[in-house]
Amino acid sequence: MVRLPYTTALTTLFSYGLLFAFGQLRDFFRKLIDWFKAKNVKGYAPICLGLEDFYVRRLYLRIQDCFGRPIASAPDAWFDVVERYSNDSNKTLKRTSNTTRCLNLGSYNYLGFAAADEYCTPLVIESLKKYSPSTCSVRVDGGTTKLHNELEELVARFVGKPSAILFGMGYVTNSAIIPCLVGKGGLIISDSLNHNSIVNGARGSGATVRVFQHNSPAHLEEVLREQIAFGQPRTRRPWKKIIVIVEGIYSMEGELCKLPEIIAVCKKYKAYTYLDEAHSIGAVGQSGRGVCELLGVDPADVDIMMGTFTKSFGSCGGYIAASREIIQHLKMSCPAHLYATSMSPPAVQQVISAIKVILGEDGSNRGAQKLARIRENSNFFRSELKKMGFEVLGDNDSPVMPIMLYNPAKIPAFSRECLRQKVAVVTVAFPATPLLLARARICISASHTREDLMKALDVISRVGDLVGIKYFPAEPPKIAEADHDKLE
Amino acid sequence: MAKLYVQAVQPADLNKNTEWFMYPGVWTTYILILFFSWLLVLSVFGCTPGMAWTLVNLAHFATTYHFFHWKKGTPFADDQGMYNRLTWWEQMDNGKQLTRNRKFLTVVPLVLYLIASHTTDYQHPMLFLNTIAVVVLVVAKLPNMHKVRIFGINAGN
Repeated sequence: MVRLPYTTALTTLFSYGLLFAFGQLRDFFRKLIDWFKAKNVKGYAPICLGLEDFYVRRLYLRIQDCFGRPIASAPDAWFDVVERYSNDSNKTLKRTSNTTRCLNLGSYNYLGFAAADEYCTPLVIESLKKYSPSTCSVRVDGGTTKLHNELEELVARFVGKPSAILFGMGYVTNSAIIPCLVGKGGLIISDSLNHNSIVNGARGSGATVRVFQHNSPAHLEEVLREQIAFGQPRTRRPWKKIIVIVEGIYSMEGELCKLPEIIAVCKKYKAYTYLDEAHSIGAVGQSGRGVCELLGVDPADVDIMMGTFTKSFGSCGGYIAASREIIQHLKMSCPAHLYATSMSPPAVQQVISAIKVILGEDGSNRGAQKLARIRENSNFFRSELKKMGFEVLGDNDSPVMPIMLYNPAKIPAFSRECLRQKVAVVTVAFPATPLLLARARICISASHTREDLMKALDVISRVGDLVGIKYFPAEPPKIAEADHDKLE
Repeated sequence: MAKLYVQAVQPADLNKNTEWFMYPGVWTTYILILFFSWLLVLSVFGCTPGMAWTLVNLAHFATTYHFFHWKKGTPFADDQGMYNRLTWWEQMDNGKQLTRNRKFLTVVPLVLYLIASHTTDYQHPMLFLNTIAVVVLVVAKLPNMHKVRIFGINAGN
């Protein structure tokens, strides 16, 4: 739920209309000019219909330099961004060999494990020498090392479930598991703002997919009642099974899921629950165990818990944690386990060491320090931004904070101006977000120091004034204590 | 100046091509675009107000017919061609008929017709052209015309 000034809604719609009109005009003239050019693909169908990639050609390519910027160092709190230039107004971008040292506000480096760590890195290098970079094999053939088994047990213990299974890629974890869990004749009810991997998995499973309004347990109950009463689409038979898929922290909104209410609704109607904790595992909760710990939900109440190692653990890959029977079934049937290469051993070691640090089993309290630091940093940053008058989404304690931009022209303006001032932010536009709700997404890390955050706030405030995104009135500087929720 | 704030609830519409129409401010923007284009036509051509309304009506007819009822599919490849046989009008509101948005979009050409024919004093040939515009547009928006292709026009993929 976002609040925007009415005039902003009008101008945003008008800007998109104008961009659309210009795009159509250019397409029309291009078609006219190309009418007379000889085509050298006689008889073959076109690879893509002209109108299908209209958005990419006429809107995305104009501001292509704001996305996909290559970096030349580890994604720590400060990193090197490669400079690029274009000679044909952003249709192609060429890299130079210069880099700029920028403050990193875009990487999912929640606990600071993305760069060299004093405990993890020596162990990872050792495992690289011992096990080599790749197992060169599938899990069921020769790709299961001691490390993989150790990590599966460790993840299960960390998350609070009986057992777990690993995959080499986070996206694949969702899109290859959901078809194994439910098929034709089943029902998937997913939150309207779920990640593309879940949408893909749901589409690929062959089950009927229904969507409920984002984070609304009341609407979920309505959809469940309607669907259970209606049954399967044409035959009206009862559903074979019903799975409700939600995420812990929604990466584009930064808000937490209303987990206790949703679990209560699912239990009432006997539907299975699938929780995707890609952004919340390791980053929220008293000891880093995710939204279940933060919101006081017993992990045994969630049927399947999924997570990735890319965000808080500084590695790559994903996991599913569930009961022993479900994991056994997945090990027999999931193509990502049977046919895909297993996780790289140094990556596995990185996760093992990171989890040990978080749990405090490496003999120090760095894990607890990191968790406290990220919570402090996020709350401080969010309250300061709100005081300046920005529209920031997300709940307290969540390290993801999107700043709303709305107008399409403000996306490249904000991004380029911040880069000029040595702060690298990630801006998100359609189709990852709804058309009108473009935003700049900030990810806070435990490795950001207070000076880094002050510099970031300073730059963002100046750029925000230039670009005009302070949609709410700013609070005058007070000597008394800050009140967070004045603009809620 | 006090800023009016509106709530933008994310609609549970999976089709990103039509989802933008459910946000606040869309109707007002539409009406304002029509009004400002009338002013533009008046200032550029220097014709009578009635002639300007007729021109706006005909331009509106051409654009909305092309984009709502002729072009099929979506301008991005994310949905893997699910809507490739449906025009924008047929994709609106997931195919549900007689929703508030559809009623609004049906009323706009009618109101434009009334304004254009009133300000030209019901003279020909403007009246004839305006009438064609409104008849075609309103018939295209009737619920019975959902997914109908007359004589197979525009039925090709």
